[in-house]
Amino acid sequence: MHSRTERWLPRLFKLGLLLVLLAGAWQCRHGWPVSANLMELVPQSANDATRQLAEDRIQEPLSRQLIALVATQDGATPKGADPAQPARLLAQRWTDSGLFSVVQVELNVDLAAVREQLLAGRLAMLPLADRRLLDSDPAAYAQRRARELSDPFSSSGLVPADQDWLGLTRRAEQSLRPGGSVQYDMGSGTLQAQQAGRRWVLVRAETRGDAFDADAPQRIAAQIDQDRAALQADGAQMLVAGGALYAAAGKAQAVAEGSWIGSGATIGIVLVLLLALRRWRVLLAFVPVAVGLVTGAVACVAVFGSIHVLTLVIGASLIGVAVDFPMHWLGKSFGMPDWQAWPALRRVLPGLTISLAASLVGYVALAFTPFPALTQTAVFSAAGLLGAYACTVCQLPAWMRGWQPRPWLPLLHVAQAALKMRERLGNRRGVLWAGVVVMAAVTVGGIARLGIQDDLRQWLSLPAPLMQQARQIGEITGYVPTSQFFLVRSPDPDELLRRQALVAQQLDTLVQRGGLAAYNALSQLVSPAADQQALARRLAELAGEPQAWKPMTDLGIPFEAVAAELRSLAALPVVTIDGALQGPQAERWRTLWLGQHGGEYAGMISLLGLSDPVALQAIAQSAPGVTLVDRSGELNRMFAATRIEAAELKLLSYVAAAVLLLLTLGRAATWRILAVPLAATVCSLAALGYLGQPLTLFSLFGLLLVSAIGVDYAIFMYERVAGAAASLVGILLGAVTTLLSFGLLALSHTPAIANFGLAVALGVAFSLLWAPWVGPPRRA
Amino acid sequence: MSCLNVFSRFNRFLCLLALTLLPLTASAFDLNDLQQQLRATPIVRGQFIQQKFLRSLPQALTSRGDFTLAAGKGLLWLLRTPIAQDLRINADGISRRDESGAWQALPQHTGAGRENQLFLSVLAGDTRGLQENFDLTLTGEANAWQLTLTPRSALLKQIFTAIQIDGGALVDRIELRETQGDRSVLQMTGAVAADALTPEEQRAFAD
Repeated sequence: MHSRTERWLPRLFKLGLLLVLLAGAWQCRHGWPVSANLMELVPQSANDATRQLAEDRIQEPLSRQLIALVATQDGATPKGADPAQPARLLAQRWTDSGLFSVVQVELNVDLAAVREQLLAGRLAMLPLADRRLLDSDPAAYAQRRARELSDPFSSSGLVPADQDWLGLTRRAEQSLRPGGSVQYDMGSGTLQAQQAGRRWVLVRAETRGDAFDADAPQRIAAQIDQDRAALQADGAQMLVAGGALYAAAGKAQAVAEGSWIGSGATIGIVLVLLLALRRWRVLLAFVPVAVGLVTGAVACVAVFGSIHVLTLVIGASLIGVAVDFPMHWLGKSFGMPDWQAWPALRRVLPGLTISLAASLVGYVALAFTPFPALTQTAVFSAAGLLGAYACTVCQLPAWMRGWQPRPWLPLLHVAQAALKMRERLGNRRGVLWAGVVVMAAVTVGGIARLGIQDDLRQWLSLPAPLMQQARQIGEITGYVPTSQFFLVRSPDPDELLRRQALVAQQLDTLVQRGGLAAYNALSQLVSPAADQQALARRLAELAGEPQAWKPMTDLGIPFEAVAAELRSLAALPVVTIDGALQGPQAERWRTLWLGQHGGEYAGMISLLGLSDPVALQAIAQSAPGVTLVDRSGELNRMFAATRIEAAELKLLSYVAAAVLLLLTLGRAATWRILAVPLAATVCSLAALGYLGQPLTLFSLFGLLLVSAIGVDYAIFMYERVAGAAASLVGILLGAVTTLLSFGLLALSHTPAIANFGLAVALGVAFSLLWAPWVGPPRRA
Repeated sequence: MSCLNVFSRFNRFLCLLALTLLPLTASAFDLNDLQQQLRATPIVRGQFIQQKFLRSLPQALTSRGDFTLAAGKGLLWLLRTPIAQDLRINADGISRRDESGAWQALPQHTGAGRENQLFLSVLAGDTRGLQENFDLTLTGEANAWQLTLTPRSALLKQIFTAIQIDGGALVDRIELRETQGDRSVLQMTGAVAADALTPEEQRAFAD
């Protein structure tokens, strides 16, 4: 007997699946749309375009730059040999690989251009302290300069003395020098840093920014491995760090974990299906799983443009949840000797649908958090479950018509024995209450031990050698970039420089206290135009005061030469921020200047080697228009806020489930069914506490999922289609598969994923334990 | 980029190099012997005249003073005219004696460790560090020799063309020729070796 729906449903499903597959194929037209960039999983900051631009500028080098330090093995070089030879070899190999847009080992310093820039900007680039001294006590300045000129160890500068009698270029040049211990080596033309008698030569590269070249990190990582071998053969050692390497390591690990968790879960589920139902055709139960995974991935790419590896790993665990739909349906054969595909489906359909709705509520709750990581997981899982449900309901019965599973009856007997034991226990009120009291005490003890912890570092696990190298590079170069920075805004460029100077003054104190290694501010590079003009006027005045320059004229320098220099200084054109950033000396500051946005001028102050982040809040108050941008601190606050939100969502999901149950099954059923996820959640929390695992955002959302699964089990126990024992077998089969997939997730190297897997696995185990206590509906 | 101050840096270690060469004896005269001799450098005292010839000035800027070099301790460079100024160079860097008589470190450049190491290797007679950046040519007799240092890298050549050191039993003269046409000359006169530091010198090195 073929009803119309039984004929149309499979056709409809196939059409839908075809559309999904076509969409997927179109999405993959440029290669796999898989991303490994951790920052994509972190919430974007509030919509402030200037701030976003600033964050991108700070982020850019962190993700695109590759830094290598190369040293000869024993630190010594043969006589007359080029100590930078291994570094040059590395740079050559990088250039030849074609993987980088920029490779730099030698700085081609154009001294003529540097001299020209220093001469033209010798007034504009003069540090504040020197400007003040020239203004207030020119004689003291002249005295200091006279000493310099007669000291053979500091009289010379890049610019000849008679082109700059006041030595301004020397002062400007000194203030332009970077912090850290990296030195420019004139002999080899390279940047070098010294540590423990070894000289490290710095090689810098930038990866190509091709958006569609998702495999680039892998190829760069492979290239680095070859380079290391080649350098070792040459007797040299290399340390390397860079965003591309972290992305490659993260992706490789995620792919490896995703595939072994996926295959582990698959093998386990195949065994469970074959053992329980003893027919090859039950393996068709995997079709909904495959459909679910494809639908989830396609939906995810459609919404976000790409799918993150972290989502893929968590998504692999969806296998265990998606297989529950066919499992419940096939499991009914334990209680229905005349199991027929379509009639059996009709009987479990209400249960399947309510359980789908409950799971969707759980997942959709994830989508309303500000964390793209959780939103992606939610979209992937919700779409995946819908796909798996559609396949189970529309297509599977058509393939199984006229076929019957051969249930392995001992499983039914075990379920019956378990239920009988539960009943006996339930009849002894005294024992039951004692058990409840003990359980409550144990649970409270566990929850009291539970620690709350959230950190972005839980989201990735970098291989130890990579971490070690990054740390070593930081130690050797003294250059540890910090994600915190100041964004300074003002109505005009001069005021911007003044505000930056106020912040810089506070930062100088912080540097002296040891709370900061160094910083870069535009105010270090150029002084405000008005200040330049004021100083120029003062110098023109001083050209008529020979007595102020007596210490210098005593050396034998004719006053006329000094006066001519003062007059030419007064006539120097004003240097703007844009002008100052043009020269070869300005590379360090170039990214800091953001220009004009919405009627405001904006510039950053970047920080290096920060060890006292607390001090920054107060420093941000030192001038108007200064914002401290602190992504990590912001993330921590966001983690905390989202945890509260998660708790609210959890409450909301219970309310939604309660409403759903009230409407479909009535009041008496509702509280009985909800008791299962509630008890399972509380017990899981206690178990996490005893295991010493922290409660993270991910485990909280794992528990959110647990409430959906718990409701699911409770509904099947309450409905008792084909008897309590058959329902328990269905739940048992479902729980085993879910436990398998989430239990494997708990073994992940990424703490966040392991934590999530553990929370769900515990929750499923407890749901399985408490579901049999749900009584049947009271028949009138 | 810290290249810009390298000129003065070389100028600096050059003086040290020259001064450490002072007690050279007249026998075997190659770089290896020179190195050995330097390791046994005793205390040397003398006077100096420093002249800076600038293209734009008819006359050289001239200063005079006394110096004391003590192996393992450093160099005292005491300017007398036209202005009095006491300088001290040791492993920690350069210091200037202020009005109260206390030594004040002159602003150290970042990464001065490497710079000081270079000084020390020169003091220890280690010419390897020099040969990395310069071609060294030694000519003449043991009692009338000339050592010429020519920069190897294109960058250094943009700053100076050559450094020339003349000496006999002791170093007499150091000349540094800048690419831009200026030159500096240091002349040592009356240099003598000594066995012990005066109490005043000991104090100067001790602080």
